[in-house]
Parts: sequence; C-alpha cells; structure tokens
Amino acid sequence: MHEQSLVRNLLKQVEQIRQSNGGSRVTEVRVQLGPLSGVEPALLSSAFAQLCTDATVSTASLVIDQVELLANCEACQTEFEVHGFQFRCPNCGGSVKVTQGEEFLLVSVSMDSAEFVEETAT
Amino acid sequence: MTTITVRRDIALEAKQDAGIERERLGRRGTLVVNLFSSPGSGKTSLLEATARHLAGKNSMAVLVGDLETDRDAQRLSPLVPTAQLTTGGACHLELPLVRRGLEALGDPQVDFLFIENVGNLVCPASHDLGEHLRVVLVSTTEGDDKPGKYPKIFRTSQTMVVTKTDLLPHVPFSVSAVTADARRIQPDLKVFEVCARDNTGIDTWCQYLRQERTTRLAAYS
Repeated sequence: MHEQSLVRNLLKQVEQIRQSNGGSRVTEVRVQLGPLSGVEPALLSSAFAQLCTDATVSTASLVIDQVELLANCEACQTEFEVHGFQFRCPNCGGSVKVTQGEEFLLVSVSMDSAEFVEETAT
Repeated sequence: MTTITVRRDIALEAKQDAGIERERLGRRGTLVVNLFSSPGSGKTSLLEATARHLAGKNSMAVLVGDLETDRDAQRLSPLVPTAQLTTGGACHLELPLVRRGLEALGDPQVDFLFIENVGNLVCPASHDLGEHLRVVLVSTTEGDDKPGKYPKIFRTSQTMVVTKTDLLPHVPFSVSAVTADARRIQPDLKVFEVCARDNTGIDTWCQYLRQERTTRLAAYS
C-alpha cells in the first residue's frame, strides 16, 4: 500500500505543472504503468480519489494507461513480450534487458486555463 | 482546455537523490546493502551473525526499518552502531528516513551500511535507497514458491539468501526449486544458504560481501 505516498508525489508534480502553465483547474491526469512498476492500478485509483482534495484538482479524472512488459535479448537481440515474468530469451535462453514495463510515468496533465474560467464565470 | 505532455518518471527526483547518496557513500568506501524479506524471515538474525563474523575485520552499521517499536535495533545495537527508522505504519522506507538515520549515527565511515527494510516483499521493491546491492531473503518456512509471487523484488535484486536451512529436513521446501523459480525472473541471481543460529554459510556470505565491496566500489576510485 505505498500507492498513497506515490499519489502525494504525483499530485505535487501535477500542481507544479498547473501553476507553471497558468491553469486554473486540472481536468485530467494521465499516467502510464507497467507490470513491473510495483504499482497496483486499482489501489492507485482509490488513493488518487482520496487525496485529490484541493479545489484545483478535486474534479480531475485519473486515466491509467497500462502497457505490456517488453524485453530485448542481450545476446541475440530478439525483442519479445514477457509472459509470467519469465525473463529468459525465448529464442536463445540468454539474459534480457527490460525495454518497457518498469515505469510509472506522468504522461500528461489537462487543465482549464485561467482565461477560460473567467469567461465561463461572466 | 490545454493538455501538457510531460512523460516524466514520477520517481525521477527520488532516483536522482538516491544516486547522489550511492555515489557519496561509495566514494568513501561504504557498500550499502538493502535487505528485503517477508516479516520473520531472519533479516535481524542474519545481521547479528554477520556482525559477529565481521567483528575485528570490517566495520559496519545498520539502519533498521520497522512500522513500530525498536525491538530489532535493541538486538543489534550491542554489536554494531544501529539506528531505528520507525515508519509510523508506512509499509516501506524512503531515502529521507535513511538520511535521518545516518545523521543519528553521526554519518559513520564504515565498510558496510546495511539497511534492514520493512518486512514486506511488495512496496519496498519500488524505492531506491541509494544501495549498491539488493539482497532478498527467503526462509525455508515460507515456501519455495515466493519468487514468482513477488517478481519485482526478485527482478531488482542481485542476491538471494535462503535462511533457516537447519529446518530443511522438517519443511516442504526445496532450495533448488526456489532457486530455479527466482532465476526465471533474474537469471544472474547469486544464491546463498545460511543458518544464522549455528552460523552455517555465514563465512561464505561474508566473503561474498567483501568481494562485492571491492568490485562495486572500484567504480568510484
């Protein structure tokens, strides 16, 4: 259950991006999760719902893009999708390097601009 | 509406901080070893046996992570400088806590700094504490099917220590099965078998630690 501390960190970065881009209200936070990120999507969603209490982010939706685990053989360069966390090359049995699936990325932040909110308010 | 695309690793700052700490400690000759396991697998017992074995040969200090209490630190502090890191219920350690622990010990110049992580094979795996070596313990009483159930910690570790080997005749645990399962996830994993109660395997384990210190810290000199 370390998703809460990850979400706190995520929200801090979202807030910095909102401020530096002059946004008034965050509408969507998009993240990318790999199977080896150590982050459980359902727990991430519930931690996000619990912790996004600030007015600037409280109505934002969290979109989670889940990507597959990909690896590249260090010996024969075969690229393949890893199934069942078996990290051996299916072609030659060699050691592999993970090329996708370890990440927890903040992909994008969508926000209403300050001007837009003023317009709708009048 | 505006969409700002960043594609940024959320833990980037934490990883950079960990890298700075790893280099700082590496440069002055300290190998940082992060120990992971389920609760009760024998991390503290392994450290007690290691401290006794290294006494007079190599210096070491321990940072012990726990949700509550300083029971593990009480066991270790008669042997080596030990600081308790109490997480207040959190399931893993993060670098700021480790730095506080180091400060509490006076930032000692030791050959080995062991971080005894919170007993948990899930969350601690995702947090870089500036270690040079990740070691995961599996005790013979837990079952030999653990690696496949917790792939991340086995994938990111360099070493597995099978503990409580004195119980092997009494439990349905196969060292070869746990090794095969773990090496499907991490083919380069080094495997050690120890019994901290009677010191079986402790000599080999400590020799390995010394070798790792030499090879891993060579990069900093």
